[in-house]
Amino acid sequence: MAPAPTQRLPLALPGFEHVRRAWHNAYEAFAARLLPGEYYVTQCDEGVYTTLGSCISACIRDRVSGIGGMNHFMLPASASAEAGGWKSTDLSDATRYGNFAMEHLINDILKNGGKRQNLEVKIFGGGRVMKGMTDIGARNITFAHDYLKTEGLRVTSEDVGDVFPRMVLYFPATGKVKVKRLRSLHSNTIVEQEVRYLETIAAKPVGGEIELF
Amino acid sequence: MNKTTVAELVKGINDLVTLPDVFIRINQLVEDPDSSTADIAKVVSQDPSFTVRLLRVANSPFYGFSSTIDTVSRAVSVIGTSQIRNLALSTAVARSFEGLPNNLVSMENFWHHSLYCALVARILARQVKVRRCEPDAVFTAGLLHDIGELVIFNRLPEQAKESLLMVLDSGDEIPVYQAENQVMGFDHAEVGGELARQWSLPPMLEECIAYHHDVRQAQRYPLETAVVHIANILALMAEIDTLDPADVSPVDPLAWEITGLVAAEVIEPVVREAREEIAEAEKLFLGK
Repeated sequence: MAPAPTQRLPLALPGFEHVRRAWHNAYEAFAARLLPGEYYVTQCDEGVYTTLGSCISACIRDRVSGIGGMNHFMLPASASAEAGGWKSTDLSDATRYGNFAMEHLINDILKNGGKRQNLEVKIFGGGRVMKGMTDIGARNITFAHDYLKTEGLRVTSEDVGDVFPRMVLYFPATGKVKVKRLRSLHSNTIVEQEVRYLETIAAKPVGGEIELF
Repeated sequence: MNKTTVAELVKGINDLVTLPDVFIRINQLVEDPDSSTADIAKVVSQDPSFTVRLLRVANSPFYGFSSTIDTVSRAVSVIGTSQIRNLALSTAVARSFEGLPNNLVSMENFWHHSLYCALVARILARQVKVRRCEPDAVFTAGLLHDIGELVIFNRLPEQAKESLLMVLDSGDEIPVYQAENQVMGFDHAEVGGELARQWSLPPMLEECIAYHHDVRQAQRYPLETAVVHIANILALMAEIDTLDPADVSPVDPLAWEITGLVAAEVIEPVVREAREEIAEAEKLFLGK
């Protein structure tokens, strides 16, 4: 990535200044790098990318104005989840984190001028990247599907499940997305980042109130 | 940054990982012009677990002999002494590296990729027309091509992790070996080559391991090195289940030139064939 950028770093929306962005020569664009638990919304022609193990990234944009962004989340394991009962209580601790991640992304798109009726959604991730573990990826996928169905948001494309870690790069301005399966050499590093994220959310539970729109 | 040199790094490994006796003695006998097939068969017979593996492999579809091979001396004579050495190394090395654990990659995932590379190299070698390329020899080279990674992951876990994070932060644009070079000043190919040298492995293996990311450097065995270079990339395609070369790092055009193989003709059938063979090969070579 030695060659100099041919553009200036686009202005970040308020609240997203902390997200790390760099010039990517392969795409001739700036792109924001998301870690588990983060999200990013932009109204400029820039990319957002992340690497996913069993986590989910939702890519959402207003297809008319081009404002949009990406999140990166997973549901923490919970006692009720292990018993298979997480679905019946949709405000359980576990789904609250998913709701939180989805609502933050959607609210910030709407707050910056996106229109709800114009939203299009793509979802990625939820891989079963570690053999022999419970399929937490599948749980995350089910959550995302249920959430989007309840909210009446249309999924225009998805690449979820299977055994691969993924790199997802999304351009909200155009809706273009590049998904790359990653070799298993990267699985442990990606899973470790996800586990660290789970530990931070376990230590700091989200409040019960979620701002609805 | 830690200024460990490659040679020092590898020296520390010799206390942790030892090649089995049976391999060392077979290796000596193969190098010795005065030794006979019977001498080699005798050494093999003294190691019961290698004997069992040898007979299993000799009777597997991997070799496809029409009659049953039920004695070690027959196995040695039909498979050939230098292939026995390759086989001894292939079956021994995964075991011997259990003494070198790490937190960055599971042994299962590591050998899965290595075995894919071995299978692809073997398939490619059979299609090479420019001159004879020994399929069993490049199989072993493929199996061992990333062995330096296990050394780095065990000895320099912090720098190794930093390298892998750099790859992920680049959105998988920077290859692992380049990230390693940026972080440590050397990469897993160099470390693996040094290990092969200190272990006195055949020079062909040493060159394939050391230059699988830089075919241009191979002086004595450019053909075998080019085959392993291509095999490594096709192995990644098999591993992530794709037939689109754009999904993985590009093959060095020099490797196609040296081997005389044509990308458009080779890639798809070879990746498919390797995917068909992997389960059986895992049973044979990784003892599953």
